[in-house]
Amino acid sequence: MSERIYLLPLWLRLWHWSNAVLIITLAVTGFSLHFADPALPLVEFSLARRIHDLAGLSLAALYTFFVVANIVSGNWWQYVPKPPGVLARCWRQARFYGYGIFRGEAHPYPPTREANFNALQALVYWFIMYLVLPVVVVTGLVFMFPQFAPDQMFGFDGLLPVAMLHYLAGTVIVLFMCAHIYLGTTGVTVTSLFKMMVTGWHEH
Amino acid sequence: MGLGNLLRRVTVVAGFCLALLLAGPVQAQTDAKPIDPELIEKIRKANAECFACHTEGGLKAPPVAGMDMAKLADLLVDPAVYSHSYHGNMDCKQCHGQGYVPFPHAAGAAKQVSPCEECHAVKVFKVDQQFDKSVHAQNLKGKMSCASCHDPHVAQVAAKIGDPKAIVAQDNAMCLDCHNSDLRFAQFAPEKLSLKRKRPDIDTIHAWLPNTKLHWGAVRCIECHTPEAKTQSHEIVNKDKAQKNCVACHSTASSLKTRLYRHLATAEQQRYGFANSIILKTSYVVGATRHPVVDAAILALVGLTVAGLLGHGMVRLVLAWIRRRRSP
Ligand code: HEC
Ligand code: HEC
Ligand code: HEC
Ligand code: HEC
Ligand code: HEC
Ligand code: HEC
Ligand code: HEC
Ligand code: HEM
Repeated sequence: MSERIYLLPLWLRLWHWSNAVLIITLAVTGFSLHFADPALPLVEFSLARRIHDLAGLSLAALYTFFVVANIVSGNWWQYVPKPPGVLARCWRQARFYGYGIFRGEAHPYPPTREANFNALQALVYWFIMYLVLPVVVVTGLVFMFPQFAPDQMFGFDGLLPVAMLHYLAGTVIVLFMCAHIYLGTTGVTVTSLFKMMVTGWHEH
Repeated sequence: MGLGNLLRRVTVVAGFCLALLLAGPVQAQTDAKPIDPELIEKIRKANAECFACHTEGGLKAPPVAGMDMAKLADLLVDPAVYSHSYHGNMDCKQCHGQGYVPFPHAAGAAKQVSPCEECHAVKVFKVDQQFDKSVHAQNLKGKMSCASCHDPHVAQVAAKIGDPKAIVAQDNAMCLDCHNSDLRFAQFAPEKLSLKRKRPDIDTIHAWLPNTKLHWGAVRCIECHTPEAKTQSHEIVNKDKAQKNCVACHSTASSLKTRLYRHLATAEQQRYGFANSIILKTSYVVGATRHPVVDAAILALVGLTVAGLLGHGMVRLVLAWIRRRRSP
């Protein structure tokens, strides 16, 4: 409780929570579309499709905002792991999650104003936000406007590779989201990191 | 039932009995394909006489002067299309009789066109039972006949077309010929309707269906507008009974398999293990054309991740509790 630093500007927190809501919505409705079956308790197909399309377009817009705001504010620099010793720092962080955390050790790299993310975090966030999410958004848009999909590919309908990429990349996002939410409980107290994402203040 | 309809009924039933009795000659007429090349050549030559006028070529270079060219322009038959149709191996005169051989055509020739049941007694008997229950038979009072949908010079058997997109194009054109044309729709609509209400726009009626144009190119109207049956039914049901449930197609148990793709079912190879892979060649159908192994792997991965994280959390909790008890 002793030390507090203001880490996260309002726009970033607003983006974060809108992003979270949209992705959970998309995951639930996307799951309902893919596993559509009258016998399963899913969101009804036509409703799922309407929500998924709306949320998908919103996420595409929100992602554009995210990229622009990161460039304008200079926040993008946080996502770049700074050498030297990136791998060694990643290893130390991973060891902490696999071992140190059980013994009650302190976080090896607590956030500072200059380096909000530890090296592992920066790498994973960079991978998810700048590699996987764009794939989901772009394949989602092609799915929505299938006239832009190739006609045929490998003797299959051209939408198949688009759909597969969308499905697999969407799965990676969902896996990340599970781990991300869980790691949110590893602050000083179980809820302190969640509070930070609301107030912007980090407690050491 | 009007008098015309009744008469037709009688002919059909009589024809059907006749077909059963004289199965030999009547069936021979419908089933025998003229494989004899000499016969085919003879038919080709005979039909060329009609094609001399009733084609684009005939319009450009009319063999006879002073014909009603505007009228002729509406009466064209494409020889290439005709040769691929059900009746492509038939002499025009088999249906149109001798009245059209001389030109100007004989006065009563139009009335002498053979009705379908003359050769297809059994088929017409079966189809009529379904067709009589359809909205068209009930609302349009005998205005609609087999030829309103099946152009005898153009239509092909679905199984012979093979490519599902081409089948969809042919079969949907049958319906859209009327349902996308104010003029043709009004010709058939009951008087009350044609005066009071205009033809409802097809895309507006189906506004609840996303991307209607995409659907019109990938599935047939009859997929949703006829009851499911072993062979394609001719009962176009009342709009309240039409299929509105997306999951009828968008699920692994997709009815597309037993409808549009029915005649390809034997070619189903489960390519690369996809469900409904026979559809996948033409269309990716969300919910239907998925891969059970990929799905199982993904579900397992998500399950393991969640279990791993929960396990991690449990161990953390327990160890923290022990540490708290130990520390004074
Ligand atoms: C010399 C040119 C010519 C030839 C050959 C010809 N037709 Fe025609 N046919 C016409 C014209 C012109 C019309 C439209 C005007 C009319 O009915 O007189 C017509 C009309 C028709 C009609 C429509 C009648 C109606 O009232 O709707 C049919 C059916 C038809 N022809 C069939 C045939 C068949 C079958 C043959 C071959 C046995 C044939 N025609 C040969 C010129 C020809
Ligand atoms: C299987 C029977 C059958 C055969 C074979 C057939 N016709 Fe027809 N034809 C019909 C019927 C039935 C109609 C009336 C269609 C209608 O009511 O719309 C028709 C109508 C026509 C018309 C008038 C077109 C119109 O739109 O009203 C022409 C012209 C014609 N046929 C030409 C031909 C020619 C030329 C051939 C040979 C190449 C031929 N038909 C072969 C059954 C046949
Ligand atoms: C003069 C005899 C004759 C008349 C009249 C006739 N057809 Fe045919 N039809 C045939 C023959 C012959 C075949 C070819 C049979 C085959 O290939 O098995 C055929 C094939 C067909 C087929 C394909 C059947 C199948 O399942 O393989 C359809 C559909 C058809 N006709 C519809 C019609 C319609 C609709 C009419 C009325 C407008 C009509 N026919 C009038 C002789 C006729
Ligand atoms: C409202 C339009 C409509 C009317 C009217 C209609 N049909 Fe059909 N018919 C269809 C469609 C659509 C199919 C589906 C073709 C397919 O299997 O792809 C079909 C299929 C058929 C088939 C199966 C051939 C094939 O393509 O596999 C036969 C035979 C047939 N019809 C005969 C008839 C006869 C005989 C009549 C008149 C009593 C008739 N039809 C009236 C629309 C119609
Ligand atoms: C020859 C013209 C024509 C063709 C071909 C045709 N229709 Fe129709 N159809 C009509 C007309 C006219 C009506 C209006 C009848 C009414 O509402 O009373 C109608 C009405 C309907 C309705 C509305 C029934 C209701 O409950 O109000 C449906 C559904 C329908 N058609 C489906 C089809 C399908 C599917 C096909 C193709 C297999 C088809 N039609 C082919 C002329 C046609
Ligand atoms: C995905 C299933 C589906 C397909 C494909 C489909 N329809 Fe429909 N159609 C329906 C349903 C369900 C209704 C009743 C809609 C309602 O009550 O809101 C309907 C209504 C109609 C009506 C009645 C309009 C009225 O209110 O009078 C017509 C006509 C019609 N369809 C024609 C067609 C034609 C033509 C095609 C092919 C181009 C087609 N439909 C394809 C499901 C379908
Ligand atoms: C008669 C079968 C059938 C029914 C019923 C049906 N669909 Fe489809 N749908 C298809 C097929 C086939 C395709 C694939 C089209 C293609 O890409 O070739 C498709 C494609 C789609 C797509 C993908 C379009 C894209 O952007 O790539 C969506 C979304 C969709 N359907 C939604 C629905 C909804 C919502 C309903 C119910 C209101 C529905 N469908 C009912 C057959 C059906
Ligand atoms: C993390 C976010 C997302 C997840 C988890 C997700 C997941 C899914 C899944 C599982 C499907 C079913 C596909 C299939 O059956 O193969 C699907 C379909 C679809 N997705 Fe997404 N998706 C996401 C984001 C998006 C975005 C951003 C867009 C658009 C910009 C989009 C557009 C679509 C479209 C158009 C479909 C086809 C069905 C429909 O029209 O609703 N998705 N999605």
